[in-house]
Amino acid sequence: MGFEMWAEKYRPKSLGDMVNQKEIVNRLKSFVEARNIPHCIFAGPPGTGKTTAALCLAHDLYGDVYREHLMELNASDERGINVVRETVKTFARIRTIGEIPFKIMILDEADNMTGDAQQALRRTMERFTETCRFILIANYSGKIIEPIQSRCAPFRFTYLPHEDHDAYLKRIARAEGVKLLEEGLNAVFEVCGGDLRRATNTLQAAASMGKPVDEDTVYSVIGRANPVDVREMLKLAVKGDFVGAREKLREMILKYGVAGSDIIRQIHIEVFRMKDVPEPWKIRLADAIGEVDFRLVQGADEEVQLSALLAHLVEAGAALK
Amino acid sequence: MKWPVMYAAWTVKHKPKTLADVVGNEEAKDRLVDWVKSWEEGVPKRRAAFLYGPPGIGKTVSVEALASDLDMELVEKNASDYRTEEAVQRFAGLASQYGTLFGKKRLILFDELDGITGREDRGGVGAITAVVKAAQCPIVLIANNAYDPRLTTLRYYCLLIEFRKPPAGEVVKHLKLVCGREGVEADEAALKFIAQRSEGDVRSAVNDLQALAQGKKRLVYEDVSWLAYRDRKDAIFNVLRLVFYGKSCEAVKRAVDMADVDPDMLFEWIYENLPYHLRDPSDLVRAMDSLATADLYRGRIRVSQDWVLTRYVVDFMTAGVAMAREKTQPAGFVPLRFPERIRMLSRMRSERQMQREIGLKIKRRCHISARAGTKEILPYLRVIFEEDAKMAAGLVKWLDLDEAMIEYLAGTKTQAKAVLKAAF
Repeated sequence: MGFEMWAEKYRPKSLGDMVNQKEIVNRLKSFVEARNIPHCIFAGPPGTGKTTAALCLAHDLYGDVYREHLMELNASDERGINVVRETVKTFARIRTIGEIPFKIMILDEADNMTGDAQQALRRTMERFTETCRFILIANYSGKIIEPIQSRCAPFRFTYLPHEDHDAYLKRIARAEGVKLLEEGLNAVFEVCGGDLRRATNTLQAAASMGKPVDEDTVYSVIGRANPVDVREMLKLAVKGDFVGAREKLREMILKYGVAGSDIIRQIHIEVFRMKDVPEPWKIRLADAIGEVDFRLVQGADEEVQLSALLAHLVEAGAALK
Repeated sequence: MKWPVMYAAWTVKHKPKTLADVVGNEEAKDRLVDWVKSWEEGVPKRRAAFLYGPPGIGKTVSVEALASDLDMELVEKNASDYRTEEAVQRFAGLASQYGTLFGKKRLILFDELDGITGREDRGGVGAITAVVKAAQCPIVLIANNAYDPRLTTLRYYCLLIEFRKPPAGEVVKHLKLVCGREGVEADEAALKFIAQRSEGDVRSAVNDLQALAQGKKRLVYEDVSWLAYRDRKDAIFNVLRLVFYGKSCEAVKRAVDMADVDPDMLFEWIYENLPYHLRDPSDLVRAMDSLATADLYRGRIRVSQDWVLTRYVVDFMTAGVAMAREKTQPAGFVPLRFPERIRMLSRMRSERQMQREIGLKIKRRCHISARAGTKEILPYLRVIFEEDAKMAAGLVKWLDLDEAMIEYLAGTKTQAKAVLKAAF
């Protein structure tokens, strides 16, 4: 039995294999029948099939040689304006040989592109529409500039419902000979929401422990794969343990390489959910969070700025006592 | 601090010749004199006096001046003289008679008692104790810390006399005396500054005075105010206390000059130690906000290369932090902490590089950016590599990982070997 990451091994190859996001899939299928596609934006949370849908679309359009007509670019790794000017333009302007007169450019994690790069992209999209169609993939479509949005057909992906999630994981478990208990399955859904990539990775790591996958195995994997979380850090701060909270922050940034911008986004979400912070404080905290967010963009030190924010939480926690 | 060798050190040249000239500690000096004089009436209950207190405040000088005042023969021994039992016994005989051959009375001084330490000096303290118990002449012991556990037994046979730091006014008087003898006309403010900075250490105050005033006719405040903190090993400690507890912006801002580290490193020291001092939540918030503002200016300097802005970094990281304190009372002794993230950063640098390289391998296979791969897939790989060598071996081939990457993911060398064995 060959081993690879199951998330890749069981990634659907054709639109027909996709079991969820039915409406989107149907619309994409109609593009294939028409042998033509518009520029698209696939927006939605991680692990909901955006990249898969794009790859399937290309596969169904060009057949098995689809890779020759396709370029995948990750905006997170190459997000500058120069990439758009050179790599993207070079690819986009050269006409493809074959039945279908255009190529497909998949721009993954496009919401991480700088504003300038997006402006440059907009012109490229216009000029080379004949020879190249773009599929922009993003978690937040709001981070894509308006002029690009208006040139694209939008597709909104949503988390998988429980049944689809279960069906997908059960199929993998069966094929891999893994004993997946019902409680294990529920635990995976509980922790991963409907994020299928995370769910599949969790299942595979749980399976590597060599016993039936139950609730405990799943939680143990989650604990080992995500040793620090923002919520834990915030709890410490609110309890008044500034030093402990700062240590968690340090670990996140230095040991696990979590980006400051990701941490701040999570803090922003969590603060409003916290029960032990007085309501009026939440909006004051939001002000502090926003300021830090802005400062990080200006090139300030992530740990120093974020720990100043933790101090505000310590104060908020103390106000409740 | 150095001065030309042709000049004698002022601390020696102007050492008090009589007990009355020793700065401060009147009560301690009286007790010492009374005890030595009590030997005239026979051997007292306590045959040794134990003088203790911080360095440079006149313990040794007092004994020397006393011996001279009373015309006694002083036998002075330093730590190096009595490290071992044999060494002590070599001059134990001296202590067995009160009078000397020439009719002078004898006084024995064991100085720098804290100098005897641990293993090498086995028996030294015990031997001294034995000498004290049988002494026929007064013995004086001197140490900075009388309550060192190694000295417990010895202490029992001694009259304890504490020497305290003299107040700055007393030190100024002594400095004036020295200035008068050296023909230096000195401003009161300048001498006060030197005295305060020395924190009661008269010896270091005289040393400073010499360094600043030697060869001058006049010493004014401007000559001394720039003076950096004496290079003690706890310089950083004092600077941080000033930053956390200082009251005047000007004084606190000077911390940057006093610290023997560059401002960026000082920033790290302040950042690391701050929460252990400013414990009141509102004080903490204000102080951390001020540090964050200092950091914001650092960011602006990096972007604009406008180094003039450095002065604002200094304002906020020093005075800004000091002014944040409203409720927190000065804590007692708080240990100094080395900036942990400096240590972590260097430890993590190679790890981050490794994660990035594995991320690039993941990117080639998993339709995901290297950054997201590092975050979302690598942690699961780690679990798999630690648990299942066979599955890991398959992934090694699929992702095209090298040996170093395998070892990183597997966690231990043993597990890495198991994975390698399964793979090839």
